[in-house]
Amino acid sequence: MTPDTAPRKEEPTEPNRADIDPQDEQAPVDPALFEEKPAAPPFERTVLTTPLHLVTSLESRTNRWTDWNGYTVPEVLTGLEDEYRALRGAAALMDVSPLVKYRIAGRDALAFLQRLVTRDIENLGVHRAVHVVLCESRGLVLGDGLLFRLGDDEYRLVTEETHLAWLMDSTEGFRVRIEDVSATLGTLSLQGPLSAFVLMHAGIGDIASLAPSAARWVTIAGMPVYLSRTGASGDLGYELWSDAEDAPHVWRWLVECGGPLGLRAAGFSLRELARLEAGLPRAGTDYLSAFAAIDARDALPPAAIWASPVIDLDKGVFNGRVALRRRADEPPARRIVSLAIEGLEPLRFSALSLEGRIVGTATSTGFSPALGTNIAIAVIDSEVAAAGALLAAAERRDGLSVRETLASVRVLAGPARSHPRRLAVPAPLRP
Amino acid sequence: MERHDAIVIGAGLNGLVAAAYMARAGFDVLVLDRASAPGGVSAAHEIAPGFRLPRYTLGSGGLPPRIAADLGLAEHGLRFIRAEGGVSIFPDGSYHASYRDGAVHRREIARFSRRDADAFTHYRRDMLRAARGLAPLLSGPARVRAKGLFAGLRARLSFADRIASIAPDDLNDMLRLWALPMSEYLDTYFESDAVKAHLASAALIGGTLGPCSPTGASRLVGPWLSETGGAMGGAPDTLMPYGGPAALVDALTGVLDANGGRLRLEAEVTDILSKDAKVRGVVLANGEEIGADAILSGLDVKRSFLSLFRWKDLPEGLVERVGRVRMKGVAAKVNIALDAIPEFPYLPEGCPSLGGGLRLTGHIPAMERAFSDWRDRMPPRDPLIDVLIPSLVDPSLAPPGKHVLSALVQFVPETLHEGAWSDDRRDALRDLVTARLAEVSPGIETRILACEVLLPDDIENEIGLTGGDLAYGETTLDQMFMNRPFPGHGGASTPLRNFYLCSPSAHPGPLVMGGSGANAAAEVIAALGGRR
Repeated sequence: MTPDTAPRKEEPTEPNRADIDPQDEQAPVDPALFEEKPAAPPFERTVLTTPLHLVTSLESRTNRWTDWNGYTVPEVLTGLEDEYRALRGAAALMDVSPLVKYRIAGRDALAFLQRLVTRDIENLGVHRAVHVVLCESRGLVLGDGLLFRLGDDEYRLVTEETHLAWLMDSTEGFRVRIEDVSATLGTLSLQGPLSAFVLMHAGIGDIASLAPSAARWVTIAGMPVYLSRTGASGDLGYELWSDAEDAPHVWRWLVECGGPLGLRAAGFSLRELARLEAGLPRAGTDYLSAFAAIDARDALPPAAIWASPVIDLDKGVFNGRVALRRRADEPPARRIVSLAIEGLEPLRFSALSLEGRIVGTATSTGFSPALGTNIAIAVIDSEVAAAGALLAAAERRDGLSVRETLASVRVLAGPARSHPRRLAVPAPLRP
Repeated sequence: MERHDAIVIGAGLNGLVAAAYMARAGFDVLVLDRASAPGGVSAAHEIAPGFRLPRYTLGSGGLPPRIAADLGLAEHGLRFIRAEGGVSIFPDGSYHASYRDGAVHRREIARFSRRDADAFTHYRRDMLRAARGLAPLLSGPARVRAKGLFAGLRARLSFADRIASIAPDDLNDMLRLWALPMSEYLDTYFESDAVKAHLASAALIGGTLGPCSPTGASRLVGPWLSETGGAMGGAPDTLMPYGGPAALVDALTGVLDANGGRLRLEAEVTDILSKDAKVRGVVLANGEEIGADAILSGLDVKRSFLSLFRWKDLPEGLVERVGRVRMKGVAAKVNIALDAIPEFPYLPEGCPSLGGGLRLTGHIPAMERAFSDWRDRMPPRDPLIDVLIPSLVDPSLAPPGKHVLSALVQFVPETLHEGAWSDDRRDALRDLVTARLAEVSPGIETRILACEVLLPDDIENEIGLTGGDLAYGETTLDQMFMNRPFPGHGGASTPLRNFYLCSPSAHPGPLVMGGSGANAAAEVIAALGGRR
């Protein structure tokens, strides 16, 4: 028996995987890889996470979370005072991905948006943003938001609450396409006097020339990011819009570059405090969308919410124009104001009274380090807005006992904080 | 002759609520029932040993917290379970669930349409606005303000200037809700057929209107009327008494007992003593006479007047008016005892909404076909089936690991075009229901230990509810509010002095569980002069 003819001992071989040959481009691929998995049913996770959840979890020292628009976001990451100092003295970085983002595109996009919002956006340039207000046919506010023009026929509307049904119902007769792109974008908010400086260190050239409300495409650590000089802090600040997958890497890069300069990651409480100091009412909290206001009195016209809302009655037909023209002369019955409440410690209060009669509700409250006092955004009856003697009923726990105190309330003429740096061109790189 | 302050005929839920209110106010109350156990429609029932479920009703729904608190039912052991609002499974295998949490419910709708998820906010606002507008009407009489309120409502409806002063858009919102068919009304909010079908199927149960019948839209408000309806921003929840409706009956008899009221069973009232349109007592089947200052009937309006009185004793025109009240059976009840937990492969595992009920339904056109079958008195071919498996959330109702299943088969006529229901037809209905259940829960047919089918006719024969109409009279607008039980008598009082209706045949009817009883008690207490 020659070795040639001897029956070869069965060598242990790889199991027969002829169907998978790495050299063969035509090899069959496991179809399960590309099967669309059914999405988890909504009840399995009642609160969603943002694309930045992992990186914010790593930053979190407090493990305090809150629910914003159905997403978990950090309430406080290190400490509110600490984060506030960074915001006003250096820079603070926040995850604002739960904001609702719509892409509005098509050849009639401009005409459609002119119909939708109260201000004239004819002259909104490409890569510019503007604050817009949406009204329904009775001239009551549905919501407000930032409108970006991304291209000639492409816009992005960023709002606090969803408006898809109203947007789609308003498209009748317009060649326009509307998509909710909220989940595809991660959004970071970088606010504070050093925010431009941090961006410069992150490798963005000529950041100082970016005007307020302007935007441009930049590359951060190799990732395309849409950078806009916007934000709700009443100070210099930027927002960064990137692919959801890129957002954590942008976050890490900014923390790495900005950390030595004083940048701190911050949570939702700081965003609320900054917004409160800047006197910016928030939809769903300080005012209700006319479609959500169960009590009809809670639906407000624009003049009740903002001191000088931009309403261009002469720009042509838009939703709510007839009603707003009629309302132009009559002052609203209730209005939203910023208040300062005496008393040093953080107070808990909501009812505002005048001579024993409840005349308003504080809807957002907080302690403002800028003014050194408690401040609030409140909705009050218009006729008492001028009266000085408002009182807030506050409750203070002391051990097991509770004390009710009446704190006197002052209506603020303007926001608690608004720094000229916000609008400075070029943006200052140093405080 | 034995005398009491008040006699309640029928120990059903509303009768007991009325009796409990009066007993707590210090009245000497006697409740009479011909059955050997209290409860009427809600009486305790065992389909097989250890399997408890209500025989005639689905068993969901709870007393409004206001009534439960007024009567102190919690002290008598009554607890409520809050379950999610239920699931619809469609013939294509897709499902739509209701969740209390606003964000979760919107995500559920977004599975069908993101646009509709947003539109739900607007829909919810309009439902809650309508519910808030109705609330003072529904609970008013319980606070002894019935007369003023109804007069107020009449004034509001009769003065054209009043209507002219409502903003045109608000008036339009109101008219749309009260005049439109359900399908058209839902079209103004939603685009997804599944979303519309899920809302419509919940609202159709128990009513005599199809999804395309005019004025049907107002039924959509029903689930939002509960005091916690939509409190968390999502869909209204399902409230169930722990232990089923029988537990409600137990707690109510407990309150009655504790306050000196008396319950006499196996005591059938056959006649009411009346003279000159004023009643003074009842006659029992054994000839015994019992007198009272007020007599409350928990029977339906037809039975109350047409079977308890000699017709010639009734005021002029009353017999005809009562005769014109429409009571029609629309649903058959199927009770099933299950050997093991049924599986629902079309639903994601652990879906919490299943505890609040399950509806087997097609989209709106299918519901409309089921409704036309009923109108044509055809045996149902593709009915809307409302299922509740209460033992999923309340294990006390069945032996461990086993379950009870209640099903209301909507749009089952009282009599067929060919005449009365034959045994074959009845078996065919049972087979249809089990086949439909087996479609969504394969293998369920092998787990059935006991099954009973109750047609509207059976319900009438067993408990004396005219037409087997569990709503105690059609709930169309001409028979609701100030028209219930008949025009000019929106409430418990009747043209006969000292005679009151405390069944859901009187305002507010099936809109508020126990509401008719509470309203009747308030009217009697006010008429007899307050607390004793």
